[in-house]
Amino acid sequence: MNQDNLFELNKVSKRFTKGKETISIFDNLDMQIKRGDFLAIMGPSGSGKTTLLNLLGGVDQPTSGEVWFDGSRIDSLSESQLAKWRANNIGFIFQFYNLMPMLNAAKNVELPLLLTNLSAKERQQRVDTALQLVGLADRAKHMPAEMSGGQLQRVAIARAVVSDPKLLLCDEPTGDLDRRTADEILEMLQLLNREFGKTILMVTHDPAAAKYATHTLHLDKGQFVREGGVPAEEVSL
Amino acid sequence: MSVISQSLAVIKMNVLSLPRRVWMSLAMVLAAAVVVAVLLAFLAMAKGFEATMQSAGSEDVAFFIRTGSAAELNSTVTKDQVNLISEAPGIASNDDGPLVSPELYVIVDGIKKSTGTEANIPLRGIEPQGLAMRENFSLTQGRLFTPGTDELIVGEGILRQFDGFELGQEVRFGKNRWTVVGVFSTGGNVFESELWADARVIQTLYNRGSSYQSVRAKLEPGASLQSIEQYLKQDPRLNQEVQSEAAYFATQGESLGYMALFGRVISSIMALGALAGALNTMYTSVADRAKEIATLRAIGFSNLSAFIGTLVEAMVLALIGGIIGALAAFALFDGMNASTLGGSFTQVVFSFELSTDLILQGIYLALIIGFISGFFPAWRATSVPVAVAFQSRG
Amino acid sequence: MKDFYLVYKNLTRKKLRLFLTCFAIFIAFLIFGAVTALQGALNSGVEMSADNRLVVFNKINFTQPLPYAYVNKVRSIDGVEHVTHANWFGGYYQEPANQIVTMAVAPESYFEVYEELVVDPQQKASWLANQAGVLVGERLAKVNNWQIGDRIPISSSIFSHKDGGQTWDLVVEGIFTANDPQIDTGYMVFHYKYFMETQSWGGDYVGWIVLTTEDPALNEQVAKAIDENFANSQAETDTDTEKAFNKAFIEQIGNIGLIIFGVVFMAFFTILVLVGNTMVLAVRERTNEIAVLKTLGFSSPRIFRMILTESCLLSFLGGLLGIGAAFLVVRFLSEMMARFLPNLVLGSDILLQALGYMLLLGLITGIVPAVNALRLNIISAFARG
Repeated sequence: MNQDNLFELNKVSKRFTKGKETISIFDNLDMQIKRGDFLAIMGPSGSGKTTLLNLLGGVDQPTSGEVWFDGSRIDSLSESQLAKWRANNIGFIFQFYNLMPMLNAAKNVELPLLLTNLSAKERQQRVDTALQLVGLADRAKHMPAEMSGGQLQRVAIARAVVSDPKLLLCDEPTGDLDRRTADEILEMLQLLNREFGKTILMVTHDPAAAKYATHTLHLDKGQFVREGGVPAEEVSL
Repeated sequence: MSVISQSLAVIKMNVLSLPRRVWMSLAMVLAAAVVVAVLLAFLAMAKGFEATMQSAGSEDVAFFIRTGSAAELNSTVTKDQVNLISEAPGIASNDDGPLVSPELYVIVDGIKKSTGTEANIPLRGIEPQGLAMRENFSLTQGRLFTPGTDELIVGEGILRQFDGFELGQEVRFGKNRWTVVGVFSTGGNVFESELWADARVIQTLYNRGSSYQSVRAKLEPGASLQSIEQYLKQDPRLNQEVQSEAAYFATQGESLGYMALFGRVISSIMALGALAGALNTMYTSVADRAKEIATLRAIGFSNLSAFIGTLVEAMVLALIGGIIGALAAFALFDGMNASTLGGSFTQVVFSFELSTDLILQGIYLALIIGFISGFFPAWRATSVPVAVAFQSRG
Repeated sequence: MKDFYLVYKNLTRKKLRLFLTCFAIFIAFLIFGAVTALQGALNSGVEMSADNRLVVFNKINFTQPLPYAYVNKVRSIDGVEHVTHANWFGGYYQEPANQIVTMAVAPESYFEVYEELVVDPQQKASWLANQAGVLVGERLAKVNNWQIGDRIPISSSIFSHKDGGQTWDLVVEGIFTANDPQIDTGYMVFHYKYFMETQSWGGDYVGWIVLTTEDPALNEQVAKAIDENFANSQAETDTDTEKAFNKAFIEQIGNIGLIIFGVVFMAFFTILVLVGNTMVLAVRERTNEIAVLKTLGFSSPRIFRMILTESCLLSFLGGLLGIGAAFLVVRFLSEMMARFLPNLVLGSDILLQALGYMLLLGLITGIVPAVNALRLNIISAFARG
């Protein structure tokens, strides 16, 4: 595996059986994500975006093929190994934030740190830093129900970065937000990418959002295509 | 659309979607069913026991026992005293003389069918006037005991709950042997839990000389117990007190009265617990549909109709539960034979009685549970602004 | 446990639901505690009976007397250690409703047979010296606030005093206790001889005979020997262990007791089913959140434990409050009903049983949602957004 790549998919296939029918989402898909990249993936519904995100996030496994992350294969890990791997390496940002409604902002951000061996004091420091980074230090004690969509997504970003993962996976991070708030969020992701060197993969179908990324890939029927429908092999990354 | 037709539409929608919320609906039904079944079990028991005790005691029979003795078992009345009591004012007579029945009351052991262990049965010594006085007395099998012999007749309750008292059987109490020559009914009251034999024979066998334990006297219409009381007080030879037979049995039934009270307390506390469960279920169920309800309101249904719809759903479920509970109680308990210790440490045999008015009480309770557990969640669901209801996810 | 805060927050997120669920569990265990204590009180006579103690009654029924001569005849039977006898007095204090369990006993031998009763030797001596003296059980003395030296008029619902009336003036000469708090001391004893001499009928009969055997293994043999000795006499006897007699007496309450306890326990379990259902629903509502936790890297066993912890916490929260309330109720009732139900206590055995049920409730209500969470497929949860 190329040392420049954080992620590599080699001939990955993914099929689902639904009743007697077998649906093929990917067939021998290849993909690389370079360290420090900010990659946007666009595509219509049903193109396989979510499945790709699941594979990269280690919440789903390929039917065949290899998934390499930072020099080791993750496609053959057990469920509990994958859980540990996710906790150590991936930060997730979802369209609908997915914060715990009964926890305040700080406690939500702290969640991934519960999976580490950090002391309560160290956790508190990290949470403070992460909230400062997203500009919500003054909202630490607020409950999700008391915050706007933009604020919620910033809490979610703080949660994603608090354990200092190598890769941020964003699933339509601005899908629920208005334009101005969306731009703020995207600028924040850009900042994380440029200043803090976070590798980011963002699934979106908003072209304006994709512009913030350094590269954009188009996914259609399980294949990467050039805008306009050219097969993936010719897309240079 | 009027509120009524709107409500009907909401009710229809709610009821049709019940299967989708099958577990919640079942929980609600179960909660109501249990409360009703428990309540009815206790009420049926109390009712059955009451009927047994009350129908035994007659208002126009004066009952004499020694002052302070509290029960027939403890009392004594000498033959002379019986004669004096027969002369008290207001006592009715028939062709055989005054309707006065001196009786003996001893306790013997019988083997209970349900447990196979010994339990106390009253053996009553009685004379012809005592039988004549009990208007609902009838022999259902065999014949009456012959005075002066060791024959006895058994109440139908004894036959049901105890072994070895069938017609023709020989029974032994200590070294005394008796023969069962008849089975009697007294219309389901407490006397059916007794054995009856000739008073003179019992006096002999139990070393009672010529004394008795209690006296019953039939009153003439309009006679008052007060004048008899007066009569007792004036004669220093009499140390008896008088009360109506009905009053005596009412006191004797008090021990089970406590049980019935205990039952009511327990079932009301339990009803509170089940109500909490039902409320919980309805809150969850309504929260599950917060969006549906908001949608209805958004497209123009009135708050009231959405409220009524939800309330009716809860009441329908509770009603179903109540009916199931009542049916279960009826199937399990109605007519169930039970026996317990009554007054004087003896067994009283009685049947649970689940009458229509008790069942109605159970159904009312179910409806109350339904109303309470529907009202508050419905109120909450329809008082939230539509926009807020839409925003909340899940 | 770092996750405890999370568990706590999950538990308390819906205050109303928490309250209602706890309340239902509270009620269930309140009833459980109170009813089990009641059942225990009814059975306590059986539990506390001595192994080697036998009672001899008239075979007709225990309300029928035995000739006094039987006492010495029983004493001469092989294997018999101590023998005493007692008569039921049918006592009450001031009001017939105010029953006082009073027995006329053989003063010397009574405390030999009932070894568990403790009485100060000096008090005992003065009681033995005073024919009209009475020894009062500690509990009875406490209920009526009787002190040593008090002259108490005790009436009989059965017997008449030969001087007229039904009241005996007795003097409290001592107060006896028992070496085990479970043993009832809610009664009093006075002299048999004095009783027989002062009651109007006279006579020389005893209510029943109590004896101890040299060894519990001899019980059966001794009982048989006694009954055979009196077979075909004027009063046949029925000898049984104290335990068997007490048990038979309890059973006289009959299937009513069985029905009541049956109904109550059925209801107890139904409330638990309702609670379980709520718990399953409550966790189902959180499917999405559990998926998110899993996605963040929380392992399935960890989430499984969190849910079980939550359900057990809930169960113990409501259950402990309930059993605590039952304890108070029972304490209150035992003072009120000391006369009828002397041994109404919520002891450690009931508490342990209740704790067992709480744990069971917590595990059972937690296990279904916990397994659901364990099996939860994150992918499908993700798709819900």
